[in-house]
Amino acid sequence: MATFLAHYQSIKKSAQRLVVAIADVNDLWPTVKEGFEARVPFRKACLNSKFQNSVILDKLPVEYILTTDSRLRSRTPQEQNAFCFQEPFAMVVLVTCEDLEEYKTILKPRLKEITQNEEREWFIVFVSKAQLANDQAGKLTRKIYNKIEVDFSNKKRERCCKLDMHVADAAFWEDVESKIVECIRFSLDRRVLFYEEEIRNLTENHHPQAGSFVNYFILKESLASMFQMTQLQDDALREYEELEQSYLESVNLSSMKQRKFGGHDHGDDSAALLDSHRKPLSQLVEDDTFREFDFRQYLFACQAELLFFLNRPVDVAARGYSFIISFSRLLSDNEKSLPFSLREVWVLTACMTLIKETEERFSARSMTIEAEKEFHRLQADLYSLARVKLMRLGDLIGYGGNIERTPCNSANLSMLPWPKPNIWPSIPSDAADRISLKGQFSEKRSKPFGITRKPLPLAPTLLLRDANRRRASLSVGNIPEFLESRQSFKESIYGSPAGDNASSLALSPGGVPPAPLRSMSMSANGDLTGSLNSPGAGPSTPIRSVSFGTTAKAGAATNRYDRPMKLPEICAAAEFAIQSMVTDEKLLKGLSSAENFEDFLMELTKAAADSYHQSWRKRHGVVLDGEVAAFYSRHGNYDSAAKLYEKVCAMYSGDGWHALLAEVLPDLAECQKQLEDLAGYLLSCIKLLSLEKGLLEDSERHTVQSEVLWLAHTELKNPVSVDVSTLITFSGRGGSPLKLCEGDPGSLAISVWSGFPGEITLDALSVTLIATFTAEEGVKVVRSAQAPSLKPGKNDVVMVLPPQRAGSYVLGVLTGQLGQLRLRSHTYCMTSALSSKGGSPESDDFLSLERPLRPVLEVSEPRPLVDITCVVSWGLLINEPQWLGLVIRPIDYSLKGSILHLSSGSGLQIEEEQICEIEAAGKLLKGSNQKQFPKDHGNPSSAGENPFIVKGKEKQFLGMKDGKVSLPDSASDQASILWLRVRAVQRMQKNGFLTPSPPSSPLKAYDKDMANGNILEDSTTLSNFSGLLLGQDDKKHGSSRSKDNQTIGVRKLDVKLEYGAALSRTYERTLTVQFLDPLRVVSRVIAKGSDSIIFLQVTLISQLNASITIEDAELVLQPGFVHVNGESGRPFPSSILPLVMAPSSESALLFTARYEMSGKRSEEYSNSVQCELEVGSTVVIKYQIVGDRALGAHSPLTCLKKDSMQEHPLLEFKSFLVLQMPISDPFLAVGMLPLPVDNPCVGEQMILQWRVERITEGTCKPSYTSTDQKLDDVEHLYYEVEADPDHWMLAGRKKGWFFMPQQNGGRVVVSLVCIPLIVGYVQPPCLLLPGVDKTRISNTPAGPHSICILPPPLCSSFCVKK
Amino acid sequence: MIACVAVVGQQNNPLFIESFTEGEDELKFHYIVHCSLDVIQEKVSNPKKTGSAMNETFLGLLYPTEDYKVYGYLTNTRVKFLLVTTDQDVRDIDVRNFFRRFHAAYVDAVSNPFHVPGKRIISKAFTERVGAIVKSFGAPTT
Repeated sequence: MATFLAHYQSIKKSAQRLVVAIADVNDLWPTVKEGFEARVPFRKACLNSKFQNSVILDKLPVEYILTTDSRLRSRTPQEQNAFCFQEPFAMVVLVTCEDLEEYKTILKPRLKEITQNEEREWFIVFVSKAQLANDQAGKLTRKIYNKIEVDFSNKKRERCCKLDMHVADAAFWEDVESKIVECIRFSLDRRVLFYEEEIRNLTENHHPQAGSFVNYFILKESLASMFQMTQLQDDALREYEELEQSYLESVNLSSMKQRKFGGHDHGDDSAALLDSHRKPLSQLVEDDTFREFDFRQYLFACQAELLFFLNRPVDVAARGYSFIISFSRLLSDNEKSLPFSLREVWVLTACMTLIKETEERFSARSMTIEAEKEFHRLQADLYSLARVKLMRLGDLIGYGGNIERTPCNSANLSMLPWPKPNIWPSIPSDAADRISLKGQFSEKRSKPFGITRKPLPLAPTLLLRDANRRRASLSVGNIPEFLESRQSFKESIYGSPAGDNASSLALSPGGVPPAPLRSMSMSANGDLTGSLNSPGAGPSTPIRSVSFGTTAKAGAATNRYDRPMKLPEICAAAEFAIQSMVTDEKLLKGLSSAENFEDFLMELTKAAADSYHQSWRKRHGVVLDGEVAAFYSRHGNYDSAAKLYEKVCAMYSGDGWHALLAEVLPDLAECQKQLEDLAGYLLSCIKLLSLEKGLLEDSERHTVQSEVLWLAHTELKNPVSVDVSTLITFSGRGGSPLKLCEGDPGSLAISVWSGFPGEITLDALSVTLIATFTAEEGVKVVRSAQAPSLKPGKNDVVMVLPPQRAGSYVLGVLTGQLGQLRLRSHTYCMTSALSSKGGSPESDDFLSLERPLRPVLEVSEPRPLVDITCVVSWGLLINEPQWLGLVIRPIDYSLKGSILHLSSGSGLQIEEEQICEIEAAGKLLKGSNQKQFPKDHGNPSSAGENPFIVKGKEKQFLGMKDGKVSLPDSASDQASILWLRVRAVQRMQKNGFLTPSPPSSPLKAYDKDMANGNILEDSTTLSNFSGLLLGQDDKKHGSSRSKDNQTIGVRKLDVKLEYGAALSRTYERTLTVQFLDPLRVVSRVIAKGSDSIIFLQVTLISQLNASITIEDAELVLQPGFVHVNGESGRPFPSSILPLVMAPSSESALLFTARYEMSGKRSEEYSNSVQCELEVGSTVVIKYQIVGDRALGAHSPLTCLKKDSMQEHPLLEFKSFLVLQMPISDPFLAVGMLPLPVDNPCVGEQMILQWRVERITEGTCKPSYTSTDQKLDDVEHLYYEVEADPDHWMLAGRKKGWFFMPQQNGGRVVVSLVCIPLIVGYVQPPCLLLPGVDKTRISNTPAGPHSICILPPPLCSSFCVKK
Repeated sequence: MIACVAVVGQQNNPLFIESFTEGEDELKFHYIVHCSLDVIQEKVSNPKKTGSAMNETFLGLLYPTEDYKVYGYLTNTRVKFLLVTTDQDVRDIDVRNFFRRFHAAYVDAVSNPFHVPGKRIISKAFTERVGAIVKSFGAPTT
């Protein structure tokens, strides 16, 4: 079988190209060869695939071989069946003939002979040598050619073509090419059918048996080779795939399990999966079957070649990776029969070969992005696999100390079993040095911050145990093995030289000794080490008595029988076995020393990382970057290490994988510390503290914190800003946000969760407030009241809020100062159920990254915050102590701690030290428009009950001092009424005129007003106190009185409220309250008797919202009047009293009086003008008042206090009135006589005359009468003529005396020359008698009248002149 | 044998990870699960290439290595379930079944009103239930 295969392979090797046979009958080939070969390779050739699909080939190379060539002649008929792929696919018969007879006799039989083989595809090329000019020869050759066509061509197929040697005919060559391709196609189809038939025959019994599989393989590969020759690589690939599938099916048959696997040849450790020519086919066969180890690699190599030919390196890589994985499993299954660690070495070399070959053939330009990514991903996977195998080999050899115990390496190695050879390799004879080297383990590296973790396992089981168990002379339960293992275990744990490497190899994945080991340690007595050297310790005593050094020197032969090997021995033995097997130079170098191993490992790691980055598998890439970083860090290249570690940390942090982050972060911190990158180191420390609970021990966290504090306070020279969002979080207090008004300072309480393990004292803490919904508003920073000390967990911090502008604010960034360290936290906890209840840092909200949405502070727009009005601003009793109610209504604003300042205007007295009352206003008052209050109050219909005031609330008494009242807390949020005692003062002089009262206000402004006499209100109250006289006058002034009433008695009260946070706000207002007399008095004389008795009606109009009871009334008369019959001046009838007056009602009292007709009268008359104004009568009314202070006037306070027994004391009200004597006839009558001219003109002189006539006998002046009356009967009267000097020019005596006869009817005419000066209606001059009372003069006419003055007449002299 | 199961959130953050090996080497499963997210991302961004239907939640085998296999499952809310097994021959139907039950357990766990969405699942009941599902992995279902 092997020879057959060798023969087949030689045939296959020789038949690389598609052959077209040339049957050169007439030695024409040298002549036409050039023309034929110029067309090769054929372009656009169309062939059929295995499934009869037309395939157009771009290039079809063919080789022309003469049939007489030895290559064709040497083949035997037997070979031609099985190896028909090497046979010519077409035969071109070259003939020429110039004689018809010769054709018939010689050429035709010859051609028949050549073409009789039906297996061959052929066609005839007739070469014509005839010249075009030679018509005869040309005709003959055409005739012969026609004959040939008739003889060899048929309707179905044209098998002849003619070549004119002397004519360049392109169409001929195309014809030839198409005919050759046609022949090839037919041959291919026929041979494919043949092979299929053969294969079908062979596989009729489902699976080719051992012997027949070689035939099957030859048939399949021949077919594949044929497809390959005809450029149908896809079909060839399919054949190989089917071949591989069939092979896998055949090897899985139980009957074939016993075959040889292979892998024992020299060089088998180096993978041949891309080299089909490594071994000849004959060497792949053993016992008439293919060795699986070699044959599967061969099959894959053939496929890979085809794929490379098809420019599909990505497919090679993909199939190669899968092949390596499956083949590795296969090697694992056959590991016991294979050389030690062949699996690992083979996988490693396979990966490297595949990487190298595919990379060489890969061109990114011809690939899509996706394909490129896929390729890099496969490369990276291959690098990673190679890396894992290298680490495993290195660990075996004893370079485990150079392998980082990272999660990545642990994941790759801890589930990968140790090699499982049938017998563990023995220690070589010259291994003493090697063993001693293995004992020198690398120094154990510790993590910073005292972080101690159980090292991650790099292997699933103990190497020590695994290796010893596989030794020829020992078994699992062997006591000495355990003792030795125990010793090694102890060495590895406690002592150097075992160190880190030893522990990695000796410890089980969980760090717990395996169960048999533990049971042994319990059962063993005494000193284990001693027992090892004791001669009688066990059956293997003689062996164990040999010292270690002796054992090493004794060589492999001795070790086969003695005690279990120690770890260095195992490593040394493994190293020897591996190095003696490995043929790959690069790998050999890589395993030659720990340094080379590390370099090789890093080379693979970097390449894998780069490839992963190119394939966009960033996580894979970055993790491997971390491995590279560890290498850099170990070798002092901290800069590069830190950069790579930062990438790793950023990735883990971004994805939130804290457990993995906790592994890398200390290393990054250490690098940064070495680089003196204090800011970065600090940040790493902060991140370490921010890790999830449980990843770091408390002691470690405290160490990190102390490091942070040390850096912040001591080491850092420049300020550093660090984001501690994951370590310190904050939130506002739960519930509704703090509400302030614009301009209010305040304090904002926030909760800060500290993730530091211990208490830290910050230098300062501030938080930014961000206004929502306003883009232009900047960020406000508010600071804490004092430097806070943050305990672990929740802390309450109060921030001082300066006055803010209106808006809604959310918390922004929390900033703390710690030495030179500036801590920033952007993490605002959402108000979830946990945080509102005071969630701890351990709660889920600690790491919440949601943005704040809930405002913590709402500052409202400027608006009225408080309103102070009077409960009653109208109708309080003047001159009596009254309760003045002030309604203090906060408008959604707290008045806590506010102080009310009160100062009164003139005419109003407030006791600066008094006890005030305060009570809550009713609920109805809240939210009501305060402006409506006085209106409603003034409505008489609502006088009985004020709906806004609810009585019965608890009263509080407040002390007022210096005009200040501190409002109680009960008044801070609700409307309250403050009751003050006030008294409006109005003083009246004897003559009835009122003067302003002295000011009681301490305010200077009002002092000034007082000094200037600007207080007008009091001076306007005259009419209220002047009971007016007689009916006519009363009516005359009635309309103006009611108007005056609106301003009479108005007093001002200045209130100033200091309120708000820190009493920063003030509310100032001047309140006006109108105080009134209880009654308005209107009097008139309703009747006058002939006996000088007059009836005086006094009408009383109630002005207050209170019930008035008139208990007594008295009329005190002025001189000149007396009461009738000596009565006391009480009203008539007396039974009318007491009189009860309802609010706003009217009543009238009737008094009687008469003139006093005694001698006093003349005297009184003489002084009448003055006396009328100075002396008057008075109506004195004594009354009681019953009212409610909430409605208006009420009983005076003092009375209540002084005479508590008398509920309603009598009050007194006085009203002045002046009774006037009846007026008698006038003494004199004065009248102007008619004008002398009808139409006076300007400048016209006229004499005006006044006639004075005595009406009543006597004199006008008593004094005169008493002195001059006796001398004569005339009275000496003084006169004056009064005229407007602008209107009149007077000529004559304007003033003078005239004598008036005392007799009744005596007349005097006064004349005066007057000249009018202006045109129009002017008043004439008037004659006055200053010495006589006007009332005694009767003027005719009664009033002044006007005179019409005409313009002056035209002057004729002027006209003449003109 | 199932070595580890994990739930990974929308932001690729671990929500739940539980290993079922004896050793204290859970960290390596963190690594395996974390790196598997790369493959899930590839599969999600190239659904055509992987041949999975748009609404197919089962992502199939993510990680064919020598020693372990990682299977993935993606919910409609982009939560990922991962399964690390050391068995070399695992039936697809078993894995699908496992993920279906695992998903149901997860839905029940996150329906707890006290669970904060997107945070780690700390429910002991969920852990126990997952343990039960893992134990019954591969067992014939009724």
